[in-house]
Amino acid sequence: MSGIIFEVKDVHYAYLGKFPALCGVDMTIRSGEKIAVIGANGTGKSTLLQLLDGLIFPDRGTVTAFGERLLEHSQDNEKAAHRFRQRVGLVFQNADIQLFCPSVREDIAFGPLQFGVAEDEVNRRILDVAEVLDIQHLLDRVPHQLSIGEKRRVAIASVLAIDPDVYLFDEPTAGLDPLTVRHIIDFIVNANQRGKTIITATHDLHIIGEIADTVYVFGRNKSIVRGGSSESVLNDRSLLETNNLIHMHRHHHDGREHVHQHLPLEPHD
Amino acid sequence: MSNPLHKKHDFIERSILSALAFLKDATMSEEYANRKGFLQSLDPRFKTISFLAFLVTAVSLKSAVLISPLYLSCLILALLSRIHLRNFLLRTLFFIPLFSLCIVLPTMFSVVTPGEPVWSFHVAWITGIITRPGLDGAVLFVVRIATSVSLVVLLSLTTRHSELLKVLRVFGVPQVFVMTVSMCYRYLYLFATMVENIFTAVKSRVGMVSHHRQGQSIVTWNIANTWNRTTQMSEEVYMAMLSRGYTGEPRLLSKFHATPKDWLWLLCAVVICAFLFYRGHTL
Ligand SMILES: Nc1ncnc2c1ncn2[C@@H]1O[C@H](COP(=O)(O)OP(=O)(O)O)[C@@H](O)[C@H]1O
Ligand SMILES: [Mg+2]
Repeated sequence: MSGIIFEVKDVHYAYLGKFPALCGVDMTIRSGEKIAVIGANGTGKSTLLQLLDGLIFPDRGTVTAFGERLLEHSQDNEKAAHRFRQRVGLVFQNADIQLFCPSVREDIAFGPLQFGVAEDEVNRRILDVAEVLDIQHLLDRVPHQLSIGEKRRVAIASVLAIDPDVYLFDEPTAGLDPLTVRHIIDFIVNANQRGKTIITATHDLHIIGEIADTVYVFGRNKSIVRGGSSESVLNDRSLLETNNLIHMHRHHHDGREHVHQHLPLEPHD
Repeated sequence: MSNPLHKKHDFIERSILSALAFLKDATMSEEYANRKGFLQSLDPRFKTISFLAFLVTAVSLKSAVLISPLYLSCLILALLSRIHLRNFLLRTLFFIPLFSLCIVLPTMFSVVTPGEPVWSFHVAWITGIITRPGLDGAVLFVVRIATSVSLVVLLSLTTRHSELLKVLRVFGVPQVFVMTVSMCYRYLYLFATMVENIFTAVKSRVGMVSHHRQGQSIVTWNIANTWNRTTQMSEEVYMAMLSRGYTGEPRLLSKFHATPKDWLWLLCAVVICAFLFYRGHTL
């Protein structure tokens, strides 16, 4: 494995100084890795991704990216800020928030234009990206009037247009139909094969096998309870159960009742 | 269930919902803007300039006879732009009474505009007299308002909002301002949708209980909650902008493409306005 991209050391973060969201997180992420961060709702996954994207900064501990510490005042230097933002792209959990322009076309163009890419090149990228995500027919639509699956694809397109080295995905498949989920997984796998580093926050265990080699499990205490290869984590039933990632199901078969778990790797009957 | 109080509440609820749906449709729908018609085919810059010229003409002419051709042109343009005439009239009619009546009513009376009485009436101890100049003024005013509102409705129906905003930028309005307006607009849409959803949610939760106190407190709580969510959202939107390289001055796409047709249209508009102004002075 090549160079280290992110180094997170003993990071603590609390919203407004009193709502703890991360309590002592350590992780190291290398170039080209596929990482998943899993955990129940409210375990700090989105907070972690925002820290990695340099949008919020730890109360305690350090986040280092590309060998430099991420600090609030380093954002004041436009050149440095742009250099970082061009390398790291975050697809937000809520696509309504990510899409703030009056048309899909302008939303896709927003990133490249901020970085000073010429308009002809931007227009070319819009078409390329729209083709990859199959949203050519949506370019002149108003983003907030699209369906949730369409919004998500536009949100991904708006990051793809920047062509970052590192993609951060915040629950990219939540609430989507199976076909769109498939499309997005394929996109992630494909990006990784092109050498991109992928970090995905999710609680959808079904997709982890494909989108991650390494999995970090976040627990109720808002820190990592376990990190390891995706097989080893997915096979640890008691770990997944105590962390609210699988649940028991009660079924009736032939008049008899039986109880079983929902597991990611086997189809559910 | 069929007590009159309940019916009244149902009625209010339905009216609010349908008013909301109408407003949302009237201001947010881009259905007409996406059709292939005459006005839709024009460059938004040229369209906006020509409509501004018409608007200035309509507002400054002092004769209803001269303004009415402009109104007629609006109707013809609406037809050429594949806008359902009934729908168009409904939309304009929706705004006209609001504008005109409250401004025009007082000027009809002798207290405000003295002159030859046309009609007088007595209400209790007050005597009202409608005067000739007052009536003429009212007619002029109504025609003027009808034309202005039609022009504005026509422009906004046939132009995507994003393009109208872009035109503002071409006219030198700072991008930050334009961006803010477009976001306010988006929040408005989200807000309308949220209120709709909350109404449905409250109805399904309270429905059977039919105790309106409870329903009200849920609505109040939800509105406070919605407000909180909106402010939090704007912080998050700011983060989303930062994440994609925003550093204070947004840079946005700006290309428009003017064709000879646009120039021809602008020429026509200028000639029509100049002619009307000329007639207005020589009449
Ligand atoms: N804007 C906020 N203000 C206060 N608390 C917040 C805010 N955002 C998140 N939190 C809290 O931080 C914790 C972690 O949240 P989050 O990172 O969104 O979790 P996840 O993405 O895993 O669901 C939660 O307990 C949540 O209540
Ligand atoms: Mg989250």
